[in-house]
Amino acid sequence: MWSINFSNHQAGTSRADSLMLILKGVKSQLTAMPGVRGVAYMGYNTPYSNSMNGTGFEYDGKKYTSMDYQTDDDLRQVLQLEMVKGRWYSEQDAAGKRRAVVINESLEEQIFPLGDALGKELKWGGEQDSRVIVGVVKDIKHEGDYSTPKPGIYQRADTGFYGWTGMMLVRVDPSVDAGFESRVHDRLTSLMKGATIEIGRLPDQLARKNREMAIPLVTAGVVAAFLVINVALGLFGVLWYNINRRRQEIGLRRAIGATAGDVSKQILGETLVLTTIAVLLALFFAVQFPLLHVFGMLPGIYVTGMLLAVLFIYVLVFLCALYPGREAAAIYPAVALHED
Amino acid sequence: MIQLQNIEKVYRTDTVETQALSQINLDVAPGEFLSIMGPSGCGKSTLLNIMGLLDAPSRGEVRIGNETTKKLNDKDLAHFRNRHIGFIFQSYHLINDLRVLDNVELPLLYRKGSAGDRKRLSTEALTKVGLSNRLKHFPTQLSGGQKQRVAIARAIVGKPSIILADEPTGNLDSAMGNEVMDILLHLNKNEGTTIVMVTHDEQMARRTHRLVRLFDGAQVQ
Ligand SMILES: Nc1ncnc2c1ncn2[C@@H]1O[C@H](COP(=O)(O)OP(=O)(O)OP(=O)(O)O)[C@@H](O)[C@H]1O
Ligand SMILES: [Mg+2]
Repeated sequence: MWSINFSNHQAGTSRADSLMLILKGVKSQLTAMPGVRGVAYMGYNTPYSNSMNGTGFEYDGKKYTSMDYQTDDDLRQVLQLEMVKGRWYSEQDAAGKRRAVVINESLEEQIFPLGDALGKELKWGGEQDSRVIVGVVKDIKHEGDYSTPKPGIYQRADTGFYGWTGMMLVRVDPSVDAGFESRVHDRLTSLMKGATIEIGRLPDQLARKNREMAIPLVTAGVVAAFLVINVALGLFGVLWYNINRRRQEIGLRRAIGATAGDVSKQILGETLVLTTIAVLLALFFAVQFPLLHVFGMLPGIYVTGMLLAVLFIYVLVFLCALYPGREAAAIYPAVALHED
Repeated sequence: MIQLQNIEKVYRTDTVETQALSQINLDVAPGEFLSIMGPSGCGKSTLLNIMGLLDAPSRGEVRIGNETTKKLNDKDLAHFRNRHIGFIFQSYHLINDLRVLDNVELPLLYRKGSAGDRKRLSTEALTKVGLSNRLKHFPTQLSGGQKQRVAIARAIVGKPSIILADEPTGNLDSAMGNEVMDILLHLNKNEGTTIVMVTHDEQMARRTHRLVRLFDGAQVQ
């Protein structure tokens, strides 16, 4: 998949309808090239781009906002969007007096929890401009693999759209060679007088977007790992110190009948009891977040997070206590009892 | 009861080799109260540790109740000590974080038995040493003599047949020392407990059945 940006196109007309005809001609010329599987015009907010576009509308007296994607009829085929219900818009909608729109699942869930979006009308600023929902598509992650899909609406390009847009998406054959890009570039330059053509690859843009999203995660991960290492070393040190302080007690326990296993079990047990107290205390504070709805996240995410954190803490504590526990078990009673 | 045959103990560190005991042959009869005397560093504690199976001799054999202890592994030794031997130390070795009753219960924790039994037996043991009114105290709230009596209660709570006491009166003045000595004599006489006691006090030693003197790791009397 490519996204192609064209600017400074000297079409020789300022009339929107003739511009539309010219651009549609460019599109059919490009589609005819072997190696090109499909072409669609859309607004600047192509997938994985840094451009965003929002819109606001009303349904049933309530106001909503969503991402706004203005596209021509072929976008579904080019991006291979999956219809959940209804249909994508097409030439047949040109005749209708209301504009045809397609919404994504997130938006349907928000406005039509019962899933009855088809045929409903959304209103833009007053009674005159109402647009009809003809289909619902699956969400796609416009902002990269680590993003959550946002509610979005796809609107059929009107004539005016061709006056301002400068983007097209092109699905090319995976087998095309390196020279193909420059052939497409040359072709477009000759078809659009004076235009500057920039060809971008969607996979590259996705990778860049993913990197952008990953940086804070990786940073937070490194900081967290550093903190965990600190805590682990601290815990290890405290346990170590504690065992050395208790050498006589341990020696005495050994003398009066504790086996080496009893001693290391005791050390581990004491540590796990302390951990449990600390974990319960921490959970008390942690559950306030979902209870008070501090972040807009699902309860399931909190529960999973807490369970994983608790599990992690126990594993960490267990590992940190293992060696000191073994060391304690190795204390030789005759020697430890002799120390004063 | 306890037989030491040709016991030898050598401590090896990186630089020196100390012959702590050599050629010790000793037979402690059941029900006997034996005291061991000798100058500091002559090997008294070492001998007691070997009798108590806390330490293994470098050579020779320890037999208890006519059975060899050579083949016992670490776990068996721990169980054996728990069942048959009670220890008393000069510096008491009480656990300061635990109440008196819990200190006395310790040996029972390494046996089967209910919490109720443990409590009953511990209270009984503390009554025998005259401390039934100090169950809830912490060791730091007790005098030296009282601490040593708690230690005696801990040593006898499991009803061992042998008590090994390493200078039990060493940190006590003569009045408190005599109190402790009276308890040990009473145990020996009334319950038939075999006792081996290390002491620096001729007076105390004279009250026992037999005295063994060590000098430089060897038995001189
Ligand atoms: N763990 C050890 N490592 C090396 N040498 C030791 C060790 N324990 C004792 N010794 C040495 O063995 C010898 C006997 O020590 P032991 O503690 O048995 O003496 P003691 O008769 O009990 O003395 P005291 O009356 O002062 O308690 C001493 O020379 C001592 O330095
Ligand atoms: Mg000694």
